[in-house]
Amino acid sequence: MRAAIRALRAAGVGVGAAGAPLELRPAFDDAAPRVEPVTPLEGDRLAVRVVPGAPEPGIRAFLDGIQRSQVVTHIGAVPLVHGAVAAAVRRREARQLRTWGEARRREALVLPVAALEPTLVGALGAVIPLVDTTAGEPTPPSGHPQDLAARALTAVQRMREAEELALLAAWVAEGDGPLLVDGGISGSPEGARADAVIGVVKSHRTLYAAPAELPLVLGLREGERTTAVTLHSPRRNPVASWYLRLRDPGARSPLFGLVRVEVAPTGDLTARADAVSRWVLAERAPSALPDPRWDVMVYGIRECEEYLTAILPR
Amino acid sequence: MTASVLGRVVATERRPNTPHEFHFWTALDAPVGVGTIVRVESTRPVNGVLPSVYGVVTEGFGYTDLQTPLHDVLGADGVPGSSASAPTERTEIRLYTAAVLRQVPEEPLQPVPIGTVHLATEADVQAALRMDTYVQGSDARGIPVGAYRSGGTDAAVHLDADFLLGPEAAHLAISGVSGLATKTSAVQWLLASIFTHLPARKGKVAAVCFNVKGPDLCFIDRPATRLDPADRALYDALGVPAEPFAQVRYFAPWHARGTHLATLRTHDALADSVTPLTWGLRETLQYAEVLLSREDIDAKADALIDFIKERVVDQRFEDKLLEGAHEVRAFADLERWFRELLQGMEAANQEQWRTHHIATIRKVRNRLGNISTRCKGLVTDDGTVSDLPFGAFEDRAVYVVDVAQLEEDAQDLVFARIISQLREHLEKRALGVEQVVVFVDELNKYAPSDGADTYVRQMLLDIAERGRYLGLVLFGAQQFRSQVHRRVVGNSGTQLFGRMDADELATPGYQTLAPATKARLATLEKGQLMVRHPHFGQPIFVRFPRPAVLTGREGVEQFPPAEVPTLEMAVTKTLRRLDASITVGQVQDILALAGDDEEAILRARNVTLLKRPDNVLAFFSKQLRKRVAPEVVGGRGPAPLRAPATDDEYG
Ligand SMILES: Nc1ncnc2c1ncn2[C@@H]1O[C@H](COP(=O)(O)OP(=O)(O)O)[C@@H](O)[C@H]1O
Ligand SMILES: [Mg+2]
Repeated sequence: MRAAIRALRAAGVGVGAAGAPLELRPAFDDAAPRVEPVTPLEGDRLAVRVVPGAPEPGIRAFLDGIQRSQVVTHIGAVPLVHGAVAAAVRRREARQLRTWGEARRREALVLPVAALEPTLVGALGAVIPLVDTTAGEPTPPSGHPQDLAARALTAVQRMREAEELALLAAWVAEGDGPLLVDGGISGSPEGARADAVIGVVKSHRTLYAAPAELPLVLGLREGERTTAVTLHSPRRNPVASWYLRLRDPGARSPLFGLVRVEVAPTGDLTARADAVSRWVLAERAPSALPDPRWDVMVYGIRECEEYLTAILPR
Repeated sequence: MTASVLGRVVATERRPNTPHEFHFWTALDAPVGVGTIVRVESTRPVNGVLPSVYGVVTEGFGYTDLQTPLHDVLGADGVPGSSASAPTERTEIRLYTAAVLRQVPEEPLQPVPIGTVHLATEADVQAALRMDTYVQGSDARGIPVGAYRSGGTDAAVHLDADFLLGPEAAHLAISGVSGLATKTSAVQWLLASIFTHLPARKGKVAAVCFNVKGPDLCFIDRPATRLDPADRALYDALGVPAEPFAQVRYFAPWHARGTHLATLRTHDALADSVTPLTWGLRETLQYAEVLLSREDIDAKADALIDFIKERVVDQRFEDKLLEGAHEVRAFADLERWFRELLQGMEAANQEQWRTHHIATIRKVRNRLGNISTRCKGLVTDDGTVSDLPFGAFEDRAVYVVDVAQLEEDAQDLVFARIISQLREHLEKRALGVEQVVVFVDELNKYAPSDGADTYVRQMLLDIAERGRYLGLVLFGAQQFRSQVHRRVVGNSGTQLFGRMDADELATPGYQTLAPATKARLATLEKGQLMVRHPHFGQPIFVRFPRPAVLTGREGVEQFPPAEVPTLEMAVTKTLRRLDASITVGQVQDILALAGDDEEAILRARNVTLLKRPDNVLAFFSKQLRKRVAPEVVGGRGPAPLRAPATDDEYG
């Protein structure tokens, strides 16, 4: 960010107050909740299963990435956004987490190149990497400032995903055990195929179940899982997935303590889903409090996030 | 090669660094603790110089990423054992606070820079404590006080002789819990260190140690029975031979009965080495003030005492009221003088004599007479004087004065006279040595922070304030520093602390210490001390070896005090010091002449001992024959001396 501000000042652009990061503005998180049917992989219809055996540690490492998009200034109606991303694998050795290899960090000034003066773009590009929000987009920007900001946010998201995917691929090639990834793995061709990768999805804007099956999913009790299913997504790689209840919701939201696990759809799925569920259940302690998503977040991911916050370019 | 990095300096707005304090974090297993000396390396030059900062750790903090204990409870479902088996340990931090010992360069004095933190090497310790200015070079004058040890570094810590013995500063105060603080031991060790390391050009030095408790200092010329390899290693590292004091002279007054000396060093194999400490009238009158309380002595009595001191004692004195000429040389003579004077006044029906009222005369007679009974064994009726060798003090010698069995009054008299004599001789540069360390154990008894303003306290205050110019140095030990007069502790250039009592640490004198430093003081091991010294920016923890001398406790086991002797045996033993061939039979024969006049016999013995004649027996029996009739002095019965306590813990 300091680099971006310096670059703008050098280019003679006044820099205004920074304001809240785009990620925290509610207007940008507006995807509607929905339900999407799935195909059973384990048995012929969705069922509930108690995870057999006691939780046991089996995860070797944790992967997460973070991002921050900050509007630095406006030129006319065009927001200039500073994007910073970082991702890391935190590998566990003797109950301590350490960064595996190197953490990945990137920062850039995110802007619609076509909407700005080429001389300014050139001057900025000389001091800080630029990411063009208009490049390769099917629809041209509407010119609505919020549309432009939303596009910037998407671009930063992509930056983060790219770093995460690179680390995921590296772990698949060189890692030494099961890796727990924050979020899904179907976006990664390597991750979706590798036995060593486990995705844990914490948010459920889309619930993968037929409407009739929803009560099964939402009625899971602590230590229970659904049978595995496969998700349909044209742009994604096929994975096996199931819901797992980490903590008893009691009278809280039916989504409390509910995660969706993703693994490569190979081998004896029942045995594998049971084993992976035991591993994930073992990661409930220590708790991820005070993170508001502590009911579904494992400590390794929180720790990774804290680490990334400390090293995020600013 | 730069030493490996121990930690990193951190500063936040809430907890900023200052010129005198900084914070750093380390790995969880870093060999650092309260008292560890560290060096900060910065990469940012100031005025073209890379600053180095030395600090000593005063406080430590440890915490995890947990914001409240409740989160841990929730995460563990209320079952304490379950989070112990969690697959990951919470991120934990060790954060330390260090107080700045020294910044190089010293100007400009800035907040401690952000940088890497390293364990101090031996050279760093020297620089941090500014020892580089007095340990090496042509004016080297370092006195090892102990070894600093932390994180694998082992460094000798030296005191500056100019600040320990004068003239820049002087005196030493050591405080701590009895039996655990190793106060007496530390002083013995430090004396050995001074004797070894004080450079010859600083002149001769001796020590006068008052043994105030049990046998504490009665065997310091005998080797220790127990020195661990660790002790020996410390002696080697600090360059002090692990040997007992080569030159020790012991002094003790007689027991009230007079047959034997009032000390625990009376074993037959050692008895010869104790010299009787006895004073006569002149020596005592000089310090009459010590023994006479203010209420006793008003201006009129003072005037009479002065008159006696100046006009009566040690000279021929005639007066028409007296039967004949008097030569008052001893308490007995003085008593005779008083008696004749009062009889004369009564006979002449006279209320007044040379401006002195008869009541004053009676009172002074009574009080002075009392002295020789209250201090029996120390103050003699007959004027026999046996004293420390003022004027002939020897270099590196220790003079132990055993007052452990004396009454408080008599102890005060001993302090007052010996210290005044030392002072007078030092003033005239006529003591025999240029510097004397006076060690007073249990100083709180003699210079208490509250209580009456006694002569002894006045005198100790005076030494504390002026002694450094004279070479008169006070080493005081006390359990509670807060109970010693603040002008005495305040004037101590060097302060040592052993294991401390928690209540004492809560008193205002320790406010400047960080809680962790206090906690460390409250749990110090034997042989560890915290040192404050003018050159050290902060208190430093050191370790010192056991004294290489026989402890009092072991001394009385190896050399149990002799049985209280019969009169014959007592005399025989004493005379044998002059002539080893003397037998009990010979002495019995001579004593038969004297009947049961015990005082006369002892007096004859004392004179013989003092005169050291060639023919001991002949001289002794001649003394006995020409004896004068004994006088009973004063109105009251003799106050017995404190008997040697057999159940004394000697702690
Ligand atoms: N350097 C040392 N290391 C270990 N123990 C010691 C050391 N010096 C003395 N001691 C032991 O500590 C005990 C108390 O010592 P002392 O000097 O009498 O304490 P204080 O004078 O404070 O009462 C003694 O038993 C002594 O043997
Ligand atoms: Mg003691």
